[in-house]
Order: sequence, then structure tokens, then C-alpha cells
Amino acid sequence: MKTNMPLTKPIRRFISETERLLDTEVTLLRKPEAAPGGTLLDIYTYNLDKNIIIFPASYIGLLKDFVIAKQCTHLLIKGAAAQGSGYRVLSYTEDSVYTGMRQVYLDALKDEAKKEKKLPVKKLIEMLFILYRQFHEDINELPWNPIVNARIYHRMEQLRKTQLYTLLKDGKQDMDEMMDMMEIIPRRYFVLDKSMFYARDLYLAKTLPSDKLMPVINIPQMKKFDHLEVKEMLTTRWTHTAWYQSKVFGDAMLTIMEKHLAVDWGSDATLEYYENLYKVGVNLTNALLAYMTMKDWFIWENPQHLLAAQEQAAVYEKAALKKIFGDLIEDQ
Amino acid sequence: MPVSEVPRLLKRADQYVRQTKYREALALYDQAIRLEPRNAEGWSQRAAAKIEMERYAEAIADCDQALLINPNHADAWSKKGLALYQIGQYVPALAAATRATTLNANDAAAWYVKGICLEETGRSEEAEIAYAKSLELEILLDIKEEKNRIRK
Repeated sequence: MKTNMPLTKPIRRFISETERLLDTEVTLLRKPEAAPGGTLLDIYTYNLDKNIIIFPASYIGLLKDFVIAKQCTHLLIKGAAAQGSGYRVLSYTEDSVYTGMRQVYLDALKDEAKKEKKLPVKKLIEMLFILYRQFHEDINELPWNPIVNARIYHRMEQLRKTQLYTLLKDGKQDMDEMMDMMEIIPRRYFVLDKSMFYARDLYLAKTLPSDKLMPVINIPQMKKFDHLEVKEMLTTRWTHTAWYQSKVFGDAMLTIMEKHLAVDWGSDATLEYYENLYKVGVNLTNALLAYMTMKDWFIWENPQHLLAAQEQAAVYEKAALKKIFGDLIEDQ
Repeated sequence: MPVSEVPRLLKRADQYVRQTKYREALALYDQAIRLEPRNAEGWSQRAAAKIEMERYAEAIADCDQALLINPNHADAWSKKGLALYQIGQYVPALAAATRATTLNANDAAAWYVKGICLEETGRSEEAEIAYAKSLELEILLDIKEEKNRIRK
């Protein structure tokens, strides 16, 4: 471990355990402009000789420790997979981008047909790949979040209050995301995105356990669904709203999560245990993709494939647009 | 350079520290201290930069200079606590961090250092209280930073 910053005993032990299990080195780095949730630059994804955990310079105490715990747990999952049967992430190709964007386009057309105020064509075209990438980003991250958090909760008691604060903050931010695009993007995608985060928060509220994490308490738009009677729920007044639909889909996703995340969270730390967590995450990702009928949108590939795909993103987008719109796209 | 330039030098040095350019910061702190050796803030801030550079003994000496000028300089006590912790001097580090939190109850870093020193000296229950206080202050700071981020 390379750091000159003060750390609590459990965190120091956890970093040492990570280094020992993976036979690697972890470096901690403070950066003023770092993302609030921290960033992990790991040797399994990037061409590096050591792993680097970056966190905001303003995090000086337990907030910093929680970021380290979270990123170290993720590192263990990645490392155990890499040293076992292989570490893969969801990536994309020209074909898979076309499949996803085409589906978004067809759904957008259905939505647009019902709208009084139509979306300008240029905006609609731009939205296709933005939405595709948003789902790629979310599905590549979301399933690991409950896994990492449940593990930390059971292994590092000292961080529970910090964890609760961070999860509340993250939950609020995730639910606020896309709000400014609510009227632009097809309803189906707004609902599915919200449902994923709603299900995650409900799962964590049950697993951690903390009532404070309940989306129906913290998310203003969800509040009205708390203690709603069945009769009332069945009236069109509710069923036509995006937030009610998010609740319905979210409840279904919660069932999927609970089924796949039947894990002993307090087990001893071994490579086998963390490799199993990786497999659990992969299965959960696949199940959520199947539920959202997005199975063909992405492919499991090594992390380097994804880095290369990200560099080609603009090319893939252009090729997909060409396939969808033909020569019309030349004018855009 | 006149003494009136010292606040400007300290401000520029602090900006360098935020950019993790410690050498550049140190040069400005040296200049400020030469101009105004009785400025406790200058000594204390230089100590902070030296801690980042892992020059702990020098940092402790700078804190002591600041405390000679102003024995109630909360930040100097806080930095001294951190530097002492880094060299494994947990008992004096705890005393310094405690003094820092007494003088400034809103210093999240000092509460955190107090917590880890208490933990190192086997006083876990008291450590929990110090950590809780540190977290409370860190959260307030984080909410403020979050608002700034949104505003930007």
C-alpha cells in the first residue's frame, strides 16, 4: 500500500488483505476534481503496474474510507475473476450498437405518434446513441452496486453510518438523472432506468437494513405510492404516470435482484468467494438485460475490447444511423 | 517585498497546495515566513505542505513555531496531531488533536485523527464518538460542496 494519509485500522487491514489476496499493489490518490464516488484505475482494465484509487481531496475522514472500501471490494471482484475464469465487462460492437439504437428509434416513433408537441428530428437522432450509452453505463455499474454495498455492510460495521449517507445521496442523484429529458426520451426507457435504481435502493433498504433508504420515502415523485391501496393503484390516474410504472417495473426488478443476490455476505475473504460474487453480478446483469429485452444490445468482452469500442463510439453511431435512415442521414 | 504582501503569498501558496504542487507552495511559504516570521498562519500552512511531502519532523517543528507565536492556533495543533500520528507517536498526537478539537470543534480532520489515535491506543468506544463527530462535519462540508457543484 502506498499512501501518506491517515486511515482507520479496518481500512488499512482491508487494503492489506486486498493486496495479499490479489498479489498486487494499491495506491491511494487525492484529487480536487475527483468524482464524489471515487475512481478505480485497475490493472485488470488498464495497462498499469499498480491499482490506483482516486477520491475527492475534500474527503478527509470516513467518507474517504468508504470510497476506499467500495473501490477495494470492486477491485477484489475484478481481480478474483481475472485470476479465475476471466474478467469480462459489457462492451459493444457496430452491430450491437445498431440493434440498440434501432430499438430505441422504433420506441421513440411510437411515443412521438402520441405526442402533440413533436421532438425535432435532429434531437431525436442525437438522442438514440445518447440513450444507448446511458444504458450501457448504467447496466455496467448498477448490478455491482448492491453487491459491493451488501458486502461492505456485513464486513465493516464502522462504516455503516457513512454508507447510509452515501447511499442516500447516490439514490437521490440517480433518481434525479434524466429528469430534464423526461419529455424527450421514450417513456419506456425513462421508466426502465428509474426502475433499476428504484429496485437497487429497495434491495439495499431490505438488506442493509435501513428504512431510510426506501425510495418511497426519499424520492418526491414516489412518495404518493407509499401505502397506496390496491383499488386506488388500479385506477388510470396512477397507472398512466411514469413514476407509477417505474414502481411496478422496479418491484419486478427487485424480485430478480433478490433471486440472484442470495449470497452469504459475511463469508471469509477468499479469492473463490470474490470470484463467486463476480459470477453473481454477471448473472444479475444478464437477468436484468433479459427483463428489459436488451440482451442483444451488448456483449460480454474483455475490458480492453470496451476501451477500444469507446474510441470507436462515434464511428459505430454513424454506421448505425446510416443503417437506420439510409441516405437521409447524409443531410444531418 | 513589503510585509503587506504576505496574505497574497499565502493565498497563492494555498492554491498550489490544492493543485498538489507542493514544491512551488513551499517556496512561497518560505518567502512569506522570511517577510513576517511572527505570522503563525504562515508556519502552520507550511507545516501542512510539509506533511503532504512526508517531511513530518519538519512539519512538527513548523507547528511548534506557530504555537510559540499563538498557543491557541487550532490549525497548528491539528497539523501537529496529524504529523505526530504519521510517525507513530499516537499519545502526543492524540493530545494535539484533542487540543485542536477543543479550540475548533468544526475541524473534521482533527476529529478523525483523534479517532484513529484513540483506536490505536485501544480506546475504541471513545474513537467511535470522535469518528461520529468527524463524519457529521464531513457530511456538512460535502453537502456544501455538492451545492457548489450543482451551481457550477
